[in-house]
Amino acid sequence: MQITERRVGNAVILDLVGELTYANRTTFKGAVDRVKSSGCRQMILNMHGVRFLDSSALGTLALVAQSLSGTPGRIALLNPQSYVKEIITLANLHQMLPVYHSEQDAIAATNLPAAR
Amino acid sequence: MGEPAPHITPPVNVETVSKPAPVILLVDDDEITRIGMAGRLKRLGYRVIEAVDGSAGLAAIRSHRPDLVILDWMMPGMDGPSVCEAIRADHELRSSQVVLMTAHDRPEQIAEGLSRGADDFLSKAASKQEVLARVQASLRSSALVREIEHTRDDLDRSHKLLSAKQQELENELQSAAAFVRAQLPMPGIPAQGIAMHWAYQPSLALGGDLFQVCSWGPDALGLYILDASGHGVSAALRAVGLMSFLREDNLVKAVGSFDPGAIVNEANRRFPLSQDGDYFTLWVGRLDLSSCTLTYATAGHGGAFLHAAAGESRWLASASLPLGFDPDSTFESARTQLQPHDRLYLLSDGIYEAPSTTGELWGKPRLQATLEEHRTSSLVHSITETMAIAHQWLDGDIFPDDVALLGLEIQDRSTPHKRRG
Repeated sequence: MQITERRVGNAVILDLVGELTYANRTTFKGAVDRVKSSGCRQMILNMHGVRFLDSSALGTLALVAQSLSGTPGRIALLNPQSYVKEIITLANLHQMLPVYHSEQDAIAATNLPAAR
Repeated sequence: MGEPAPHITPPVNVETVSKPAPVILLVDDDEITRIGMAGRLKRLGYRVIEAVDGSAGLAAIRSHRPDLVILDWMMPGMDGPSVCEAIRADHELRSSQVVLMTAHDRPEQIAEGLSRGADDFLSKAASKQEVLARVQASLRSSALVREIEHTRDDLDRSHKLLSAKQQELENELQSAAAFVRAQLPMPGIPAQGIAMHWAYQPSLALGGDLFQVCSWGPDALGLYILDASGHGVSAALRAVGLMSFLREDNLVKAVGSFDPGAIVNEANRRFPLSQDGDYFTLWVGRLDLSSCTLTYATAGHGGAFLHAAAGESRWLASASLPLGFDPDSTFESARTQLQPHDRLYLLSDGIYEAPSTTGELWGKPRLQATLEEHRTSSLVHSITETMAIAHQWLDGDIFPDDVALLGLEIQDRSTPHKRRG
């Protein structure tokens, strides 16, 4: 899995490419933690390049969402494709991590104080 | 002949306190030469063993395992090259370091000696310096060979230890797998009027998918299938933990009812997402045996498939979070009526997420179609064939995820039911 970090305004976007699985969940979580510890309050996980998501990765995403609950931070998923989108929907993860289909929408939504 | 004394490098390892002097076996039938060479070597600090011919030399190699063998070429009976050949042919002795000693050192003789197993040559006319240099060089080679042999022996011992440990772990794993398997229900008739069969294939020896069909209160069967994220020992241990929670006696104490929604809500509270992001998905049902009403609730589980004998077949699942994702989630019970000859399948996602060789997943529609195609087959045959077709799709024996497929069939209800046991 390749993870590229870029900043758009106050938001940090992590562009994820490859498979998000048990094998690389530590790398993924490390990248998320680095963004959090940098003081960023607005994080967007760009799922467009993620081909596969296993059950462990689903747990890791839930853990990320839980870790931001009750903090002023906002996190969202951007543009998951086909299979990954289906998995997220089946597990109802979008209840915890809102899904957006454009970067602008994701940035706008995570910037709103009321957004979750 | 006097020895030209000084500036001779002392032999390696000789005179060191910690290591004994290297042992050299000198094999020569000519007593005068043998005594002379033995004296030279002893004065250089080596321990010397003498043998008077080839056969005695071979016997001495076996009994003393010298660091170096110096062999005369010409001897009655076994000559030097024949002894070399015998050494190289012997598995125990073949790594011995052998120097052939000759009065002549013609190139063709040297070539023959080397081809028959000697490591080096020494002229009987060699100076003390040359003798020392060749002996030291040969002993260096010998020491290296011994070191390699020791390392090999150490590796062999370590390998044996590791193999034994591996076997021990494997045995423990198999015991644990047998224990987990023993938690699963016995196929057959869990209650009068209900037939049940299942297939289970964990992706590793131990699986994180478990299921059960058991009594939950009077006149009802509890049914559930759970999936602990991940595979192997850790997932199996967590799965057995949740299974214990779902035992009839525990549910009475912990939940106070057998309502699937209430059970899932309590499980959601008791089984939070672990620090490593481990969690469960769960499908829980309660089948009222008198009315054949099925009440069920799900937590992120792909669900159960109701194959209706008449009317529309359907998936009994609802969009819900897995256990522990959100402690504030609430899970509601849903209800459906089962009819005679309906089949209810509980299954893990491992079966419909089986990938083909091109990576295409088998998918729920293909699984459903396969189950429906076996409408007229027996329940056992339907499950066995569905597993076989999933295997064909996979084109392999081992599924990447745990696979469980459990089927229940409502039999003809014309006679009053009676709960088993």
